[in-house]
Amino acid sequence: MPSVVLHRHGQVHQGEVKENTNLVVRAGIKQFPHPHLRYGCGMGKCLRCACRILKGAEHLPEPNWKEKARLGDDRLGQGYRLMCQIWFTHDVELEQDEAPLQPLAVPAA
Amino acid sequence: MSELMNPDDFRAALEKAIVGKAATKAPFSVAWANGTLSREHLCRWAENHYHYVGPFADYLGYVYARMPAHYTEAKDFLLHNMYEEEIGGDRHTDLLIRFAEACGTTRERVTNPDNMSATTRGLQGWCYSVAMREDPIVAVAALVVGLESQVPSIYRKQTPTLREKYKFSDSEVEFFDLHIVSDEIHGERGYQIVLEHANTPDLQQRCLKICEVGAQMRLLYTTALYWDYVAKDIPLNQLEGFQGQAQRELVKAA
Repeated sequence: MPSVVLHRHGQVHQGEVKENTNLVVRAGIKQFPHPHLRYGCGMGKCLRCACRILKGAEHLPEPNWKEKARLGDDRLGQGYRLMCQIWFTHDVELEQDEAPLQPLAVPAA
Repeated sequence: MSELMNPDDFRAALEKAIVGKAATKAPFSVAWANGTLSREHLCRWAENHYHYVGPFADYLGYVYARMPAHYTEAKDFLLHNMYEEEIGGDRHTDLLIRFAEACGTTRERVTNPDNMSATTRGLQGWCYSVAMREDPIVAVAALVVGLESQVPSIYRKQTPTLREKYKFSDSEVEFFDLHIVSDEIHGERGYQIVLEHANTPDLQQRCLKICEVGAQMRLLYTTALYWDYVAKDIPLNQLEGFQGQAQRELVKAA
């Protein structure tokens, strides 16, 4: 079972989750990382769930189209990912900033 | 007289009540997963699906109003669910219309109730009826456990096909992507509420029955989509992967 370590508010929260787990889904059903993980729309738009990956990034899938559009290359390069868009299969260590990131404006289609 | 089940047994019974009638077994779902539907078929799906899911916040609003005030978590869940449907991010029906337009139909056609089938009208009416008349915990069992909790498993099968076989873009299929996350939360929270508050044998039995009926209603709706719009183009005997148990379920449901 993947181990998840979440740094937030200067504290460290740790728990195990089932393989192929989405942390926003877990928090939404009131299981770890609830109540520590901040999240919002669950659809890759608001960025409230964004975290910086400290360890375990090598096991993650490539950022999807929403992460690319909303986070942009700079923040992806700094290790930020959207927790609502990722299903974890391996151990991971994350840090969530005090203030939510602001989404990049997406040009009208 | 049934005895009160413990939460594990009750949950297993709820899951069993749904699984035999799961909409993934309907021929329309099978054809979708195979990649054999045309864009015109998908237009008709969107024009019907809008009238089933479009009023979802309305259904939940009726349940919310009748949910006892001291069931605070259940009320908050319903409110949050409504919020997400309508204003939490993009309005979910707008994403459905985006997909519909990519298929070739229009916002006007999708939102026009004259374009839904009689069966879709029946499903919509059943949802309103349950929301207004059933015990609110039984209504959560019907609408959230029986219907909404099925969505992630359906869309997990259908969404890759939309990209790979039907060649829709990421943006065009966002409606399906988002429900894989949101309805997994909603479905599971629905289970939690029903497990906690269906606290008499009678209430448990009513929840089980309505879950079964809800799943049956969705299967009926999905099956009718096939007969109304697809059967003329893809007969059952030419539908790859639609055999055996699934076919028998169809006959039972029809």
